[in-house]
Amino acid sequence: MAVETHAIPGARFMDPAVLARIGNLELVARAVVDGFINGLHKAPYFGASVDFAEHRGYVPGDDIRRMDWKLWARTDRYYIKEYEAESNMNFSVLLDASKSMDYGTRGITKFDYARILTACLTNLVHHQRDRVGFVAFDSDVIEHVPPSAKHMETVLHVLDRLKPGRPGNLKAPLHRLAEHFGRRGVLVVISDFYEEPEAVLDALSPLRFRGNDLIVFHVLDKSEIEFGFDDAQPFEDLESGEQMPVVPEAFREEYRSLVKAHVDALTQSFSAVRVDYSMLDTSMPLDHALFRYLNSRARTMKIR
Amino acid sequence: MQFLAPLFFVALAGLAIPVLLHLTQREKKQIVHFPSLMFVRRIPYESVRRRKIHNWLLLMVRLAALALIIFAFARPLISRADQAPPPGAGAREVVILVDGSYSMGYGDHWQRAVGAARDQINRLNASDRGSVVVFGSSADILLRTTSERDRLTAALTASQPRPSATRFAPALKVAGSILAESSLPRREVVLISDFQRGGWRGDEGAHLPMGVTMTPVAIQNPADRPNVTVTGVSIARSTFSNQERAVVTAGVVNRTERPVSGATMTLEVGGLPIATKPLAVEPGSAATIAFDPFTISAKNLRGTVRLSDDALAADNSFNFVISPSEPLHLTVVDRGGASTLYLSRALSIGDAPRFDVVTREPDAVSDEDLRKSAVVLLNDVEVGVGFARRLNRYVEQGGGLFVATGSHATWPQEVDLLPATIGPPVDRSRGDFGRIGALEYGHPIFEVFRAPRSGDFSAVPVYGYRNLTTAKDAQVLARFDAGTPAVVERKVGGGRVVMWGSTMDVTWSEFPQRPVFLPFVHRAVRHLANYKEPQPWVTVGQVLDPAATSVLRGQRVVLTPGGKRLPIDDEGSDVVELSDQGFYELRGDKNQNVTVVAVNVDPAEADLTPMDPKEIVAAATGSSGEDEGATVSGVPLTPEAKEKNQRLWWYLLCGGIVLLAADTLLSNRLGKT
Repeated sequence: MAVETHAIPGARFMDPAVLARIGNLELVARAVVDGFINGLHKAPYFGASVDFAEHRGYVPGDDIRRMDWKLWARTDRYYIKEYEAESNMNFSVLLDASKSMDYGTRGITKFDYARILTACLTNLVHHQRDRVGFVAFDSDVIEHVPPSAKHMETVLHVLDRLKPGRPGNLKAPLHRLAEHFGRRGVLVVISDFYEEPEAVLDALSPLRFRGNDLIVFHVLDKSEIEFGFDDAQPFEDLESGEQMPVVPEAFREEYRSLVKAHVDALTQSFSAVRVDYSMLDTSMPLDHALFRYLNSRARTMKIR
Repeated sequence: MQFLAPLFFVALAGLAIPVLLHLTQREKKQIVHFPSLMFVRRIPYESVRRRKIHNWLLLMVRLAALALIIFAFARPLISRADQAPPPGAGAREVVILVDGSYSMGYGDHWQRAVGAARDQINRLNASDRGSVVVFGSSADILLRTTSERDRLTAALTASQPRPSATRFAPALKVAGSILAESSLPRREVVLISDFQRGGWRGDEGAHLPMGVTMTPVAIQNPADRPNVTVTGVSIARSTFSNQERAVVTAGVVNRTERPVSGATMTLEVGGLPIATKPLAVEPGSAATIAFDPFTISAKNLRGTVRLSDDALAADNSFNFVISPSEPLHLTVVDRGGASTLYLSRALSIGDAPRFDVVTREPDAVSDEDLRKSAVVLLNDVEVGVGFARRLNRYVEQGGGLFVATGSHATWPQEVDLLPATIGPPVDRSRGDFGRIGALEYGHPIFEVFRAPRSGDFSAVPVYGYRNLTTAKDAQVLARFDAGTPAVVERKVGGGRVVMWGSTMDVTWSEFPQRPVFLPFVHRAVRHLANYKEPQPWVTVGQVLDPAATSVLRGQRVVLTPGGKRLPIDDEGSDVVELSDQGFYELRGDKNQNVTVVAVNVDPAEADLTPMDPKEIVAAATGSSGEDEGATVSGVPLTPEAKEKNQRLWWYLLCGGIVLLAADTLLSNRLGKT
């Protein structure tokens, strides 16, 4: 595996808010991903090789070039050396660009966090010579970059100019997209999932129908989890514009329990259908998400 | 407990601020944009109300802290009145001032005042000393500086309201003088009165010594009983069948808020009721009652207008004295003929007084004429030495002499009586005629001409006059335009002489034909006769000067309304204060020439309109009635004691700060949870 050195070796541990200040998504993605890959060599739970698969006995008709001569010298038997197929996997990120994603209290919005994450994942996958694609949606599909080995730049470009603006809806766009992903691949869905767990599951399930591996990142701001507001103020829903008076001190406990219940329900629902689900808060370093991705990939390999 | 800075209590309104903030917190217009209200919406809104209950403790702590701090800033003071007096330092000098004016006779005011004074006396300790002063327009010390309570009570019980009006200032001055001499540490004045507005005319210099406490005790109640006051009478004289008659009109006023009806008013003359009339007066209004005329049959006739009984008896009667009017007897000396025409015509006019004129030639004037006459008028006559000497004696005994100098007037050099020597005539008939100027307007003769358009002497043409040379002790009352004296006066013995430099007919001047002539003659004659209009009555508090009456000198005696006889010596200028309501009599030793003086109460005293006693307290003690701290103490406090009395603010402030700290801790703890 080619390993490149980079000027920002610790970028993956950086606060996403700092990374968000770097305008160039490609630079951010390279900085994060290169550093991440460097660190992988030391990771104890990652396999030594992904290429070699197994040995099998020689049967007539096998290509003698794949014979393991060293093993024949030791055992005086013919073994064929089998490698993993060189599969150029389709990898697509489905990014929720609804208005509710345009929220953040710690110097970075959920959408920015999701963009950086998308860029990093795309970059990581591109390193593996997989085909990268990208879809942005709110209540409809607003951007669609088909998976291709050459679309890395396009994806970054689309990401760069994307802006959230409309209320979101998971079901309609995702059901439409499910028909487009004909070839097996990996689909990463990044959203804040402000819908009932059943509705979320209903919206995402079709994506798995063609054998796609589905990885779900649930991005939330810290304040959406903690509800750390002090003053009693009217709150306005970013998407619907609805307002209601809120006394945070009184609401906090109940709100937290509701969010926790929501996350728990999603976790349970996704694990039931073997979808890898992680909840990310925007203060988390990006390597956490990347590990989650790679872990998920490793686990899928082992199962297979 | 008092407060040195009670204005800080206004800041208590600030306690509402935390509550208002608490209530209005939800009304903030700053909107928080939130990704989704999906979860918020599920939380019942009622939970907002529970928050108030939850924070009650915090709110109460904050309010208590603020209240304590405000109380501290108001500087609470533990007054000395709340503390027991230190042993040995509590002896008091108490002056009890009891209002004894006749208005205290209203209803049960006097009984209540005596009761209040008795209470004050009973509060005296064995070491205390008390004085009782009853005051009206003046103050009488009934008993001075004694610790015998029985004597104080007895002196008070024996006193009664007087017919005088209320004046607070003399009473306060008396109290101040008693207290100034006292060596006791605590000095107090108790003022028991009905506090009529009329009794106080602002600051009259009545200041109590420093450190004296003044306690007003108001004897007031709403005027629930009607009261009518006789404010005065007017007497109109008339002559009917050669008899002089008088019509008496009485004025009454009802200052209470209740109407008076069914009352009667009686006119008594010579002690006998001669007429009674019904009386009805609306609240706050006045009325007049005119009685039928009666004949003035005798000298010093006593009259009284008397009302039927009401709440205040002293103002129900009004006394007056009336006598038949007596003419002034005058003797005009002339040469006969028409020269006296203008003078006699001028003297024939006049009611108050009437002039009884006798005209004589110089040789015909008898001693009897001179004895009877109040004034002798010499109208341009030659006077011989004998007549001049008689006139001199006459003037020295109190007679008046008027001399008009025409071409015939002469006066012997031997007799020094006239204010000026008569010089040669001055003829002003050619060229500019003479004018009269430089009038002495301060003199009783010319006083009536002082005002503008009250008579113009300068317009009177004088064509001739005698050149008068004034004597040393003579006063020039007017001059001619050339500087020559025109009117000159001289006082000789008990009488006076006035000299006019021209004639009293039209031979030398047009003066008799001018409007100023008649008043000039009348004023001059009244002045020379020393005439004063008789006063029908005087007010309680005025004095009777026997020397000013017509009662002959010698052994004289004054009979008071109460029947007392007050002998008056001939020596000195002894006067009698008229302190009772009724008739005073001044008699000579042979009961001749009796003078009667009617004395009435001051009708203003019947106005019971009250004032605020604090006004007097403030003026007398130099502090407001509420601020007892400034006057309560007769014992000077040590700085430590003063500090001790005011130390409470310090504890309050500390308490407030501790509560604020507790509030901080509490709110932090609540915030974390």
